[in-house]
Amino acid sequence: MKDTKVSYTDGLGTGSLTGSKKDRPKKEHYFLIAPGVLWMVLFLIIPLAMMVYVSFWTQTTFAVNPTLTTKSWVTFFSTETYVDALFRTGRLWLIVLFLTFVIGYPVALFVGQLVRSETLRTVLLVTCVIPFWTSFLIRVLAWRPMLGKEGAVNILLQKAGLISTPIEVLLFTEVSVVIGLVQIYVVFMVGPIAFMLSRIDHSLLEAARDLGASTWTIFRKIIFPLSLPGVAVGAIFVSVMVLGEFATPAALSGRKVNLLGNIIVTQVGSLKWAFAAVVGVVLTVVMALVISALLRVVNLRKEL
Amino acid sequence: MYHLNGLRWALGCFTALFLVFLYGPFVVMTILSFQQGPEGGPQFPIIEWSTFWYEHVLSIAEPSRVAPLPIGKALARSLTLAFATMVVSTLLGTLSAQAFRRNFKGSGFVFYLIVLGMMVPGVLLGLGMALVSSQFGIDRTWWGTAFVLHVVYTFPFSFLVMLAIFNRFDKSLEEASWMLGVDPVKTFQKVTFPMIFPGILSSMLFAFTLSYDEFPRTLFTGGSEATMPIAIYGTFAVEIHPNLFAFGVLTTLASFVLLTIYGVLMALSVRRSKIKSAGLQEEIA
Repeated sequence: MKDTKVSYTDGLGTGSLTGSKKDRPKKEHYFLIAPGVLWMVLFLIIPLAMMVYVSFWTQTTFAVNPTLTTKSWVTFFSTETYVDALFRTGRLWLIVLFLTFVIGYPVALFVGQLVRSETLRTVLLVTCVIPFWTSFLIRVLAWRPMLGKEGAVNILLQKAGLISTPIEVLLFTEVSVVIGLVQIYVVFMVGPIAFMLSRIDHSLLEAARDLGASTWTIFRKIIFPLSLPGVAVGAIFVSVMVLGEFATPAALSGRKVNLLGNIIVTQVGSLKWAFAAVVGVVLTVVMALVISALLRVVNLRKEL
Repeated sequence: MYHLNGLRWALGCFTALFLVFLYGPFVVMTILSFQQGPEGGPQFPIIEWSTFWYEHVLSIAEPSRVAPLPIGKALARSLTLAFATMVVSTLLGTLSAQAFRRNFKGSGFVFYLIVLGMMVPGVLLGLGMALVSSQFGIDRTWWGTAFVLHVVYTFPFSFLVMLAIFNRFDKSLEEASWMLGVDPVKTFQKVTFPMIFPGILSSMLFAFTLSYDEFPRTLFTGGSEATMPIAIYGTFAVEIHPNLFAFGVLTTLASFVLLTIYGVLMALSVRRSKIKSAGLQEEIA
């Protein structure tokens, strides 16, 4: 600490404070960063590495032993149920990602660009966040009385005379899982996009308009490209959460729709550690591919 | 900004519909929490309006066939866990962000190492930790194995918030204080801390909220003593009663109170730091 002070006082002489950086002992940063890095290595990297390692262990009825084998891997890729779950996870992820984007973008556009009053913008954003104060699991459960055969949606639609018999595919199907996932995660798409949109310099848009650009051209050539980092960040959030989901499908599909996450939970429940680890590694690989693709669109460090 | 009224109208209506979609389940949940008890189930129609399920949650209802929610101890555990996570994650986040104020070798790698903590799905991390603890014979507890994973999850959020704060932070104020011969500890107390305080509050809020509602990480690592979300998940398997909805409404109201306090503190601290920095700048000038 003493050194810091001295070097800054020295910096005065040269008239450049930033120039004095080189004289400072460099170790200080490593002390500051060490606890965080250590924590992440111990409790993030090691568990993940352990998962990869255990996926090659031998599974006996109720235990695993560290004799290396690829048996669990073979089982995973040769069993229809599990390969199905892999594709179902991918399919639901794409559907939910698409829907959160299609639903979220117009809302973000309204909040980020078209609302002129700062107060109204804050109020709208806070309104979007309030549902998060209810426990995640209770929010998921609340969809059941919404979607059931005698649920709120069917009652309202019948009273409005839009349908004569209740729609039954709403609950305990993939449809209900998708509806639930979209409602829970769409805000994670709205937030980053609205943030990027609200940062766009309005003089840019006015200049474009003065030069005769139509609203559509302005959107296509200026607004949309500038909002892309927000879309990427939102997509990362939604992807991470949807790919790792198991509670929503379990609660809203009556355990009929199984994603990779559900298989992990079931396998852990029956102490099939090696097999759970295989599913975990598959999920990690899928996740890594998705995130690294999205990170090509956005440089997280620059956007802060 | 001209000729946009039609568009603004259309998008405004869309946003209104969006809010209906967002709040629909919450509204239905609130209505059903006033279902008649203990016979009424968590579905329409409402047999008769009553506050039975609220009394049930608060354990002042008459005993019935519906078991009370196991919330007392679970709630205390969740709050303790969220508090500890909040403190540790804000501390780690502030330290790391402080280090990132200048570029150092390997900073890109460390950045992504930290951010990875919020990008790995909870179920994977929970599984990994469960494997580690079962192989090394570590007991799985909510205050041990689950706690460290909660910090892995919230630390990146704290870090990013603090990084954003430090990026917008006017360094010349700190430097001015150093130049005037104020020692670094005092500078931190009097100049740096008041300016980063809003960031610290946000980081604490993030960490607390995320940890309090954390579920997949805790499921595999929390051991036998359940936290709040695990207790709720436990009731999933059996029959659902409207007491869960009453509990949801009550906790949401509680968060309202907490967030109002946060909002007031935030507004006060922003105003104070503005006055302070204005004063400092005058002194320097």
